[in-house]
Amino acid sequence: MSDDERSPKRRRSPDGYIETNGNVSHFELAERPAPLSGETGTPHQNQLDEDQYAHTFYRDERDGARSHETSTPGSQSAPLEERASTPPPEKPTALRYRPKLIMRGHKRAISAVSFSPDGRWIASASADATIKIWDAKTGRLEHTLEGHLAGISTIAWSPDSTTLASGSDDKSIRLWDVDKGKAHPVPLLGHHNYVYSLAFSPKGNMLVSGSYDEAVFIWDIRSARIMRSLPAHSDPVGGVDFVRDGTLIVSCAGDGLMQVPTVHKAQKPPHLLTLLDSRIWDTATGMCLRTLIHSDNAPVTSVRFSPNGKYVLAWTLDSSVRLWNYVEGRCVKTYQGHKNERFSLGGAFGTYGDAANPHAFIASGSEDGSIFLWDVSSKNGLQRLEGHEGPVMGVHTHPSEPKLVSGGLDKTVRVWVSDDAGPTKEEIGTNGVNGHQEHPVKEET
Amino acid sequence: MNLSLVDPFILAQDCPETLTGKLRSGSSSQIRFSYRGDLLASGRTDGIVSIFDTETCGVARKLRGHTAAIAAISWSKDGRYLLSAGSDCKCVLWDLQDGSRLRTVRFEAPIYTAELHPSNHLLFAVSLLSAPALLVDASADIPKKHALPLKLLQPGRREEDGSKKGAKPHTTAAAFISSGDYLLTATSQGRLNIISTASREAVQSFQLSNAPITTMRLTNSGRAVAVNSADRVVRTLHLPDFSDEKLDIGNLRLEVEHKFQDVVNRLRWNYVSLSPTGEYVTASTGDNHDIYVWERGQGSLVKILEHSKEELYTVEWHPNKPLIAAAGSESGRIYLWSIVAPQRWSALAPDFVEVEENVEYIEKEDEFDIQPLETLHKRRLDAEDEDVDVLTVEPPKAGGSEWEGAFRMPVLLDIEDSDSEDEIEAVGAGQYRRKSPGRNKEWMDGGSGDEKRVNGTAKANGTKRRRGD
Repeated sequence: MSDDERSPKRRRSPDGYIETNGNVSHFELAERPAPLSGETGTPHQNQLDEDQYAHTFYRDERDGARSHETSTPGSQSAPLEERASTPPPEKPTALRYRPKLIMRGHKRAISAVSFSPDGRWIASASADATIKIWDAKTGRLEHTLEGHLAGISTIAWSPDSTTLASGSDDKSIRLWDVDKGKAHPVPLLGHHNYVYSLAFSPKGNMLVSGSYDEAVFIWDIRSARIMRSLPAHSDPVGGVDFVRDGTLIVSCAGDGLMQVPTVHKAQKPPHLLTLLDSRIWDTATGMCLRTLIHSDNAPVTSVRFSPNGKYVLAWTLDSSVRLWNYVEGRCVKTYQGHKNERFSLGGAFGTYGDAANPHAFIASGSEDGSIFLWDVSSKNGLQRLEGHEGPVMGVHTHPSEPKLVSGGLDKTVRVWVSDDAGPTKEEIGTNGVNGHQEHPVKEET
Repeated sequence: MNLSLVDPFILAQDCPETLTGKLRSGSSSQIRFSYRGDLLASGRTDGIVSIFDTETCGVARKLRGHTAAIAAISWSKDGRYLLSAGSDCKCVLWDLQDGSRLRTVRFEAPIYTAELHPSNHLLFAVSLLSAPALLVDASADIPKKHALPLKLLQPGRREEDGSKKGAKPHTTAAAFISSGDYLLTATSQGRLNIISTASREAVQSFQLSNAPITTMRLTNSGRAVAVNSADRVVRTLHLPDFSDEKLDIGNLRLEVEHKFQDVVNRLRWNYVSLSPTGEYVTASTGDNHDIYVWERGQGSLVKILEHSKEELYTVEWHPNKPLIAAAGSESGRIYLWSIVAPQRWSALAPDFVEVEENVEYIEKEDEFDIQPLETLHKRRLDAEDEDVDVLTVEPPKAGGSEWEGAFRMPVLLDIEDSDSEDEIEAVGAGQYRRKSPGRNKEWMDGGSGDEKRVNGTAKANGTKRRRGD
């Protein structure tokens, strides 16, 4: 509890009340003892536990049909047969991601997970002030990055996958050399409060950060200096992102209510009158180009540009994810079904279906412990992944394979793979036919 | 991606107006933008080449290899290689992947200009003081130097390269025409020569002026050239498309298109350059602190860029933005002129729009109807039935900021703390002292002439580690 009083914001590092909250303490019991793999040096191959995860639910929300499927690692045949009977060009109405790996080791809740842009690594940030780098293929713990003095809310990979940036409640942003597992000696200092969100520019020369101190800073990575400060918001900045060509930045704010850690879940956000918006900025001039605001006025907690940079996806605390056409300033899609009223949940875009003509889906965590996958155009739920106990804070999609990673308040990082047509990007077009592969990853030496 | 949101009025402006920034890393003497415009190389008087990132305005890399002021800089088209020529009579070809020296070529005379071939980074042309210009083929470890002629060889009579009387004429500038098949050279006799790159023989020659030509710059497209001559006149010429098969170079006539000069003050021009489209010509002058911008279509002076505090030397246009950079000749600062777009307040207040004149608002039929929230909500959700494509990436427009797949210089995180004031360093809280002059010169000691010395990525390349690493 003392932690809560010291740092009232407990959004992405919500450990303070997890441990103190009685009704969730069973997490500690249900969860097998964390292998403490980094310290003991035991093998970290946390393969999926069969008895616990033998059953996976695949729910097709369009038909309302619910099918139980056994997908223990041994029985790969069922999805295969089903695939054979379906002609491939049709747009799938459901996705079949199944649990693949569970990585334990963090001592407190996980706030963010992310695949590296080259797909080799998974980085997970936690309220225990460490970042762990896992091998995306095997789940082996590669590095534990220690150096922050408080919980970490956000991480971002540099485009070349060699550097990881992390933003922490100790107000600093650190850069980590992932190969060596060491921090760069000079942290980026300048924020007056918790750092909530980070994003690298596509060239890797700039970093944008959003903080609880209501500021958005653009950093020159090379000199570790603030290049530009955007007069962004009058509320804590929840999320920031760079567009794919680096000319625009989006920032969002309006989660002032997060100062109250004990908001009842059903309660409406109390600060409805504050400006709760996303803003689009010109990177070169630092000018605000557009403000997106929804009539529901729900606080926006995180934002992300679409892969082609034409839309902005915004998570709001009214249990909605909205897709905005930012040029017209219009909300084009609302995705619902998940639960998001307290935390700043993360998510990502992913692709599925035919490699030549992929469809896009949106993955998001939920406070009920599941991960939701929606089709972008139809807004239909494609799959609901169950497994996490407690809110899922971060979900990220693999840059080239049908793979998801998620992390949540239950201190686990989970990797989910799909048996469906392997490739999502053109470079691995060879896996398209034999979707029954264990997990189609490129062989590495 | 920002273009769709930027005020079209701002986008339509293509000529910089106001001084927007200054860059500083040592004392710059020569500057040159990369073809994509993301980097600006600055040759310093101490022989170091600093590469600025034009997005962050910070130093992205420093290249140490010259012992005297840099006289010329040239980029390869892909942005990976950089050629620097120093007053120490040598050219260094840098590989920016790791900052190593790919080639070092020595010459017998100080270098005026050095230009890389647009597609072959191992071929470059140099013009030297009081010596024939050279075409250097550095594809082998020992570079081959080929002399370039000064004038058209008259069929029938052979003459030795102009060593007849008095001051020896020499080539003052040499540049490749966009395709690289031909070279354009300018001479101290005021001639402009077209030289075939393959045969290294002059194919055409024109008398442009009676005074020596001091600078000559082509646009990236190679269709326009601006020439500065010692008679205080800037001339522009339109060039034909040299990649055209039907072009008869033997009968080619080049006409001076415009002559720009200050007839009142007879200003002496230091340096000229062309805007990327060739639409504007800029010149810096030795007599005041301004930069003159002429428009080529009408041949009129359109702008005088002011507010620099010193005489300017090199002037450069950004290849795709309305941005002019110029190096000050005294302090060595780089001044940047650009367009300042005002913040549109309607961008901050989404419920408002900026209108030119009053608009009578017509109330919608159901505007103030009270509807249950659920109905509104449902209606809104149902309206979201359009197909959205979040994946398809529009191909970048030609000449735009397309960088995907192209070479990207690695981002060095441990770059020396360097831009602002080089000679002052912080030694404690609020305490500063002058840097000792001999520091950071360690690179001078060991074998500066080594060919293809790979300097390790960061350390030997002059980027010192940050403290404590």
